[in-house]
Amino acid sequence: MDIQPKENRKVSAYYAMFLIHKMQLGVGILGFERVIAKYAEYDAWISIIIGGLSVHVILWLSFRILHKDGNDIVSIHQFTFGKWIGGVVTVFFILYILLITVTILRTYIEVIQVWMFPGLNAYVLMIVLGLLVYSFVIGGFRVIAGAAFMGILITLPLLLLKYFPLQQAHFSNLAPVFNHSIKDILLSAKTMTLNYIGFELVFMFYPFLNQPRKAEKWAHFGHAFSIFIYLVSALVSFVYFSQDQLKHSVWATLTLWKIVDLPFVERFEYVGISMWLFGVIPNICLGLWAASRAVKRLFYFEQRKSLIYLLAIVLMCSMYFETRQQVDLINTILSRMGFWIMYFYIPILFVLYTVVHKVRKKTP
Amino acid sequence: MNFFKKKKKRIPPLPKNKAIPHVGDPAEDFEELFKKFKASKDFLSFQYPSEGAFTVSYFKTIVSPNQVHKEILLVLAEQQPSTLIEAKKVIPIENMKISTDLKVIQNAAMRGAVIIQLEKGNGNCLLVPCVSSEKRQISVPETEFSVVGPKEAFVESLETNVNLIRKRLPVPELQLKEIKVGKISQTRTAILYIDGIANHENVNRVCQRISELDYDTIADSSYIAQMIADNQNSAFPQFIDTERPDRAASVLSEGKVVILVDGSPHALIGPASIGEFFSAFEDYLLNWHIASGFRLIRLFAVLFSVMSTSMYVAVITYHYQSIPEDLLPTLIASRGAVPFPPILEALILEGTIELLREAGARLPTKVGQTIGIVGGIVIGTAAVQAGFVSNVLLMLVALAALASFTTPIYQISNTIRLIRFPFLIAAQLYGLLGVAICAAFFLSHLLKLTSLGRPYLEPLYPLRLQDMKDSFIRLPFSRQKKRPVNLRPEEAIRFEPKQEPKPRDIDE
Repeated sequence: MDIQPKENRKVSAYYAMFLIHKMQLGVGILGFERVIAKYAEYDAWISIIIGGLSVHVILWLSFRILHKDGNDIVSIHQFTFGKWIGGVVTVFFILYILLITVTILRTYIEVIQVWMFPGLNAYVLMIVLGLLVYSFVIGGFRVIAGAAFMGILITLPLLLLKYFPLQQAHFSNLAPVFNHSIKDILLSAKTMTLNYIGFELVFMFYPFLNQPRKAEKWAHFGHAFSIFIYLVSALVSFVYFSQDQLKHSVWATLTLWKIVDLPFVERFEYVGISMWLFGVIPNICLGLWAASRAVKRLFYFEQRKSLIYLLAIVLMCSMYFETRQQVDLINTILSRMGFWIMYFYIPILFVLYTVVHKVRKKTP
Repeated sequence: MNFFKKKKKRIPPLPKNKAIPHVGDPAEDFEELFKKFKASKDFLSFQYPSEGAFTVSYFKTIVSPNQVHKEILLVLAEQQPSTLIEAKKVIPIENMKISTDLKVIQNAAMRGAVIIQLEKGNGNCLLVPCVSSEKRQISVPETEFSVVGPKEAFVESLETNVNLIRKRLPVPELQLKEIKVGKISQTRTAILYIDGIANHENVNRVCQRISELDYDTIADSSYIAQMIADNQNSAFPQFIDTERPDRAASVLSEGKVVILVDGSPHALIGPASIGEFFSAFEDYLLNWHIASGFRLIRLFAVLFSVMSTSMYVAVITYHYQSIPEDLLPTLIASRGAVPFPPILEALILEGTIELLREAGARLPTKVGQTIGIVGGIVIGTAAVQAGFVSNVLLMLVALAALASFTTPIYQISNTIRLIRFPFLIAAQLYGLLGVAICAAFFLSHLLKLTSLGRPYLEPLYPLRLQDMKDSFIRLPFSRQKKRPVNLRPEEAIRFEPKQEPKPRDIDE
């Protein structure tokens, strides 16, 4: 059961940084400001930091679990809960990953429908994107890691566009700092959870990292970089929008791209959303890869085939959510599930795993 | 999924006993072999020096007549050897063989050997290699011309080509393996590498793939390049082909493998990564700042060439809001009268350019130039005046065509020529998003692609900062201390830098 991937299928330790960072920076970044500013308003940037630091702790815990045996979550579940219960828990984990994938895909299509092509036939585009994802995932983990890396390379320059709103910034918006209660700030931090979701996939791709002990450091770097990007985005939005505007900007970052004014291009959101494809595709790929790999490990099912079935499931689920309210709904569901998995399930798993490990060691 | 399975066709079983003779198979006995030979008019067979002495036979079209007259016939007449062994001693030519093996005899005769037999011999033949091969003079490189630097290019003869490389690398470690490919053409294919630098896995991979080839006639090295490619369905070339011996020699010392094919004036170099297709050998002959600048220009040119027309179509069709206000009047003035949608306009123009290129390539040089001028200037201007296409697009398409010519390797420029069209169609379907989707498809393909098992997108992915020293930019020679990591050379260090003196202080 504990099959280690071949050496030539692994990637260097530092790709943990790109993978974790890319996975966290999906579609949420395009419009998370309004959600987190719901409770703490202009103080929500503190929530980003608090939420980020707590995820650092969870990430640290995850690596404590993973370092013990160097296996992925399928083996960990089996070791901890036994064959049957462990399998059931893994199935839930697969469903959770698929939910992440569906959410990313559907939300990106929503963005395209709202901002680029209002009359778009979403089904056709989904199938095209599905083919694209298939073409990446069929190449294996290395290709997906490459996609994540190239995705970051292509989308990172978009950060420079923050220069334009900064020209018209009202820095006084941020003052006074700490004028909200701790409760509000924590509530905002809770809503921030959705944006940090994704690092859990480390439970699947951990065996694919060369020198995984070194990878831990890089994973933390990746997460820290995510916090930094979220912080910059949020701060820029906060100093540009007034409180009321912010409440009504569903996609604050996209709205900010609108004001970009270069001599050869205006209304940069068309270019930006297109480029953001490279920010979204690696996430969907990694999600589907992890899910199909888990299916393979659990049911000994050929990954090539399970990929096709899972892709079909993801596409059908995405087609099921049609309206804006439904898209909001899956985001909320994922956010809640993510919150429970991060802050409750992983610590509990850590405790159980450590206990079982000690017990099994004593009675071999 | 049974619907898609092919129905098995019933093939009548072949009669097992009767072996079907193939072209090129050795004859069953001596008489049959000579019967086959004599069927050709250029095969000579006669008794020499007198009736009853030796039988001398050869194909007169492939042996060198001078050598036959002076070194074989004359010697046989003067020295009068009585046996084949004696004849072998007196004839002053190396590499002679005495054989009874029909296969050996046939191969040798077909490659220009003179067959000498004792008339009442027992089938023993003395094979005297006496090849005359016509070859071209070494000339100036055409597709990879450089203003400075050596002006020699490979020719069609394998010996000359190996000579051109060997004289540049006078070390015994430069080793050559020869494999014959092609059932009929039996093309000699040489694999060159420097033992101790080149990774053995790479060398073995090349040797194995070439020896496994099964085809009848290999006309050129590009046959081999396509057949041994990692992914034969890829539009991207996976071996660099060069006509410059200096380039071949310098990549050999980097640890690459060079394949030379007899009859082909192009050497194949592998493993290759995509960046090398955009680096000219001239980059090493110029100062590194200038060379790096040129490389960046070329990369930009390629991106421009692939993307510009599709961007135009996407923006004009879907995203006209993103055209800046100051630019809008220019575009409207140019496109206002055009009756076609942008995609049709673009396809017309791209098609015209492709027509011109194809016509120019198929015609003799002088006529080709005329076609270029007629096509470029006359048709272009007329099309704009007639209101069929817009000025702006004409300019973009012409620039894109020009940009695709900046690539130093011919094979990749064809690829660039081709992959513009998927982008165009994607742009028409989904605008800028379509361009991005198309680019992502190509990215997925390039990420999966390997050349001799080494990643194609290296040093970008896998990210190897060390190899960046000679990819998109070229750093000075003093920074090229190590050979490229991607090749996994067995000796990684290129030179040991001497202790650099401390930089002098000001006014010291």
